[in-house]
Amino acid sequence: MPFVHVFRLAGLHALLGAALTLGLCAGSAAAEDTPTEVVQILEALAVASGAPRFPSEATATLQALPDDWSLSRPGYEGTVWYRMNFDAPATDDAQAVLALYVERVCTNLDVHLNGRRIFSGGRMEEPVTRNCYHPQLVPLPEALLKARGNQLDLRVRGHALEHVASRERAAGLSTLRIGPLAELAGTWRANEFWNVTLTQLAGVAMLVLGMFMIGVAWFNRRASYLMYLGLLAIAWAVLTARVWLNELPVPNGTTELLIGLGLAPTVGLAVVFLLRYARLKLPMLDLLLLAQCVLLPASLVLAGPAHLYVATIVWYWVLGLEVLLAMAAYLRIAWSHQRSEFWAMGAILVLLALLLLLEGVLDYRSGTVWQGHVLRFVLPMLVLVVSFRLVQVFARALHAAEAGRTTLESRVQEAALEIERNFAQLAELRVEQVTEKERKRIAADLHDDLGAKLLTIVHTSESDRISTLAREALEEMRLSVRGLTGKPLRVADALGDWRAETVSRLGQAGIETDWSGPAEEVRQVMSARGYVQTTRILREAVSNIIKHSGASHCKVRCTVGEHEIGVVVQDNGRGIPLELDGRLDRGHGMSSMKHRAKQMQGQCLVESGPGYGTVIRLTLPL
Amino acid sequence: MNNILLLEDLPQIRAWIKALVLQVFPQAQISEAARVHDALALVSAVKFDLALVDLGLPDGSGVEVVAALRESQPDVQSVVVTIHDDDEHLFPALQAGAFGYVLKEQPREHFTEQLNRISQGEPPLSPSIARRVIAYFAAQARPQANAIPHVQLTERESEVLLRVAKGYTLPEIGVQLSLSRHTIADYVKQIYRKLNVSSRAEAALEAQRLGLFARSY
Repeated sequence: MPFVHVFRLAGLHALLGAALTLGLCAGSAAAEDTPTEVVQILEALAVASGAPRFPSEATATLQALPDDWSLSRPGYEGTVWYRMNFDAPATDDAQAVLALYVERVCTNLDVHLNGRRIFSGGRMEEPVTRNCYHPQLVPLPEALLKARGNQLDLRVRGHALEHVASRERAAGLSTLRIGPLAELAGTWRANEFWNVTLTQLAGVAMLVLGMFMIGVAWFNRRASYLMYLGLLAIAWAVLTARVWLNELPVPNGTTELLIGLGLAPTVGLAVVFLLRYARLKLPMLDLLLLAQCVLLPASLVLAGPAHLYVATIVWYWVLGLEVLLAMAAYLRIAWSHQRSEFWAMGAILVLLALLLLLEGVLDYRSGTVWQGHVLRFVLPMLVLVVSFRLVQVFARALHAAEAGRTTLESRVQEAALEIERNFAQLAELRVEQVTEKERKRIAADLHDDLGAKLLTIVHTSESDRISTLAREALEEMRLSVRGLTGKPLRVADALGDWRAETVSRLGQAGIETDWSGPAEEVRQVMSARGYVQTTRILREAVSNIIKHSGASHCKVRCTVGEHEIGVVVQDNGRGIPLELDGRLDRGHGMSSMKHRAKQMQGQCLVESGPGYGTVIRLTLPL
Repeated sequence: MNNILLLEDLPQIRAWIKALVLQVFPQAQISEAARVHDALALVSAVKFDLALVDLGLPDGSGVEVVAALRESQPDVQSVVVTIHDDDEHLFPALQAGAFGYVLKEQPREHFTEQLNRISQGEPPLSPSIARRVIAYFAAQARPQANAIPHVQLTERESEVLLRVAKGYTLPEIGVQLSLSRHTIADYVKQIYRKLNVSSRAEAALEAQRLGLFARSY
C-alpha cells in the first residue's frame, strides 16, 4: 500500500543552495507547506518483460522503491514493467492538475495510466534516450484520472551496472510522487537545475575560462601551466556533456566507452598542470601519461562491455591516486618554494582529494538513487576557484611587470636625460676647447705675421710718425689678442694694469700723476672686452695729454660702483681747441673714445676750455 | 759683458737689437742665432754673460734656450726680448730662469735703458706678472703641494709683489716702503730667483712622480 510520506528537500541541496545564494529552492520550499497533498509511492509490482503492455499474465513480484537493478536483478539488461495503484490525492484547489514526479529513472521510461500511454521519455530501443540525470515530470490527464483505484504502469528500460562506467547510469527507479503539478514542478525544476542546468553552466564557465587561460598562456610561454589548466577545464567541460546530452546516435556501450576514454586525458592534464605549476618538468612522466591515454581505452575494449564497470572503477582509483600523488608532489614543492601559495592551494587540493574519495565511496555504495553529482558541480567550483587564483597571481605578476616596465622606462628616460646633459656639457666643453684653440691660433698668427711686420716698420721706418703709428698699432694688436682670450678679469687687476701703464707713461713724459683708486677692496669682475675698450680709451686719453695738452699735472680718479666703473682724467693743460662749428676737435681721438664708450653702453664726456685743461669723464657698465 | 747670445729670427730686428746692444756694451762679442737649434748649439759651445732670447721662433720656443742656459750656465743672465707682454707668454720663461724681459717695439732709448737696468740687476715686473707670481706661490703654500721643497717668499718680497700687482711702479714702492731703489731691485731679483728654484723643484718632483729620472752626463 502506498502511504503518505513527508517530502523533504535533500540537506545537501539546501546547504549548497544557501552557499551559492541561489533562490531556486523557492519551489521546493512551497512543497513543504502543503505536504499532505503529495502521495509517495514506495512499492510497486515489477515484471521483467519486453512486452508493449504490462504483462498481466506474468507473475509479478512486489518490489520496494527505490529499485536498484544491480541488487534486485543483477546483470539484467532490458525492460521492466512496474504497476502501482493509487487514489487521486485530495486537493484544496479543485482546478489543480495532478502529475507524477519520478526523481530518477535510468535509463528511460514510458508511462501508462489506466491502460493508456500518457508519456514517453524518448527512445526505448538502442540508442536509448539517456535520462539518468534528468528527473521526469508527467502530468496526469484529468480525463483518464479516476478518484479512486487508478492504475499506473511504468515501463523502464535500463542498462546493467556491468555495462556502464558509473553507478550513476546503472538502471533503477526511484520512489514516485503524485501530487499537484504546480507543486511537483517546483521540485522537478530544482532537481533539474541541480542535476543538469548547473552542470551546463559549470561546463560553459569552464569552457570560457579554459579558452581564456589558453589565450593567456599562448602569449606568455612562461605561464605554460595555464595552458594545461585551460585544457583541463575544456576537457572537463566536454566530459560533463554526458550529463545533459541525452540523445546520442550511438548505443550505450559506445557512449560509456567514450566517457571512459575522456578520463585519462583529463587526469593527465590535471597531473601535468600541478607539476608545471610547481615548476617541475618530467618528460618521462609526460610520456607515461600520454601512454595512459592509449592504455586506458585499450584495456576497456579488452575488458569488454560485460566488465566495463569494474574496469572503469579500477581505472578511477588508479587515476585518483595519480592526482593525489601529483597534489602531494605539488604541495611538497610549494611548501619549500612558494609558501604563500601553499596554504590557499593546499586547502583547495585537500578539499578536492576528499571529494574524489567521496565520489569513489559513493559510487561503491549501492542502493541510492540520488548520488554522485556532488563532484559534478563542486569540482568545477574548485577549478574555478583555482583558475581565479591563478589569474589573480598572473594579474599580479602582470601588474608587477608593468610597474617594473614603468620603473625601467623612467630609468631609461633619466639615463637618456643624463646622457643628453653630458653630451651638451661635452659639446659645450668641446666648443670652448675649439674656441680656445682658435683664439690661440689667431693670436699666434697675429703676433707672428702682423706683429713681425709692424715691428719691422717700427724699427726700419725713417719717419718717427710712422714708427709711432706702427708701435701704437702693435699695442692695439696686442690688446685685441688679449680681448680674444675672452676671460673676465677682476676689476682690481684691471685697475693695477691701468695704473702701472698710465703712471709710467706720464712719468716718462715728465708729467706728474695723481692717481686715486677706490678705497676699499674691489670684488667685481669685468669682461675682457670691457677691459680692452677701457684700456684703449684710457690709453688714448693719456696719449692726448702727452701729445697735445702741454700739461704738467694729471689727476686720475677711479670709482667702482656696484654695476659701473667711472674714470675721470683731468689735466691742467691748454685744453682742446674748438672747431669752427663750436664742437671739440675730432682729431684728438675724442670721437673714437666716445664711440668705444657707446659700444660698451657707457658714455664718455669731454669738458674742455682754453686755459682750463681737459676733463674726461668715462662711465662704463660692468 | 763680453759674450752675448742674441736669439732672434727676424734679420732686420736682429740687426736692430745688435746695434743697440753694441751701444750699451761696446766691447761685447755677440753670437747671433735665428733658431732654437742653433742657439742650443751655441750654449753648449760658448760661455755667455748675457742672453737676449726671443720667444716665438720657427723651430720652437726660446723658453728651451732659457732653460738650457739655466742648467748649464747658471750665472748667465737671460733676458726675454719679445713682442708678447702678457704673463701667458712671459711667465713660463721666467719660471725657466729668465731674468726680466724687454719689449721689442720700444723706442731705442727705452730699449737701451731697460737693457741697462736689467744688466745692472734691476729687472722689470709688470702687474700681471706679479699677480701670476703671487698666485703661483699661493698654490705652492697649499697643504697638498707640501711634497715640494718649500721655497717661500719673505714678507717684504710679498709686499713688493702685492704693490706691483696694484699698479705701483718700483720707485713708488721704494718711496712707500722707505727702501732704496737698489733694495727694491734686490727683492725683485730675489722673487725671480725663487720663482725659478721653486719651478725647477716642482718640475723635478713631477718627473719623479711620473717615473722619469732626469740624468745629467
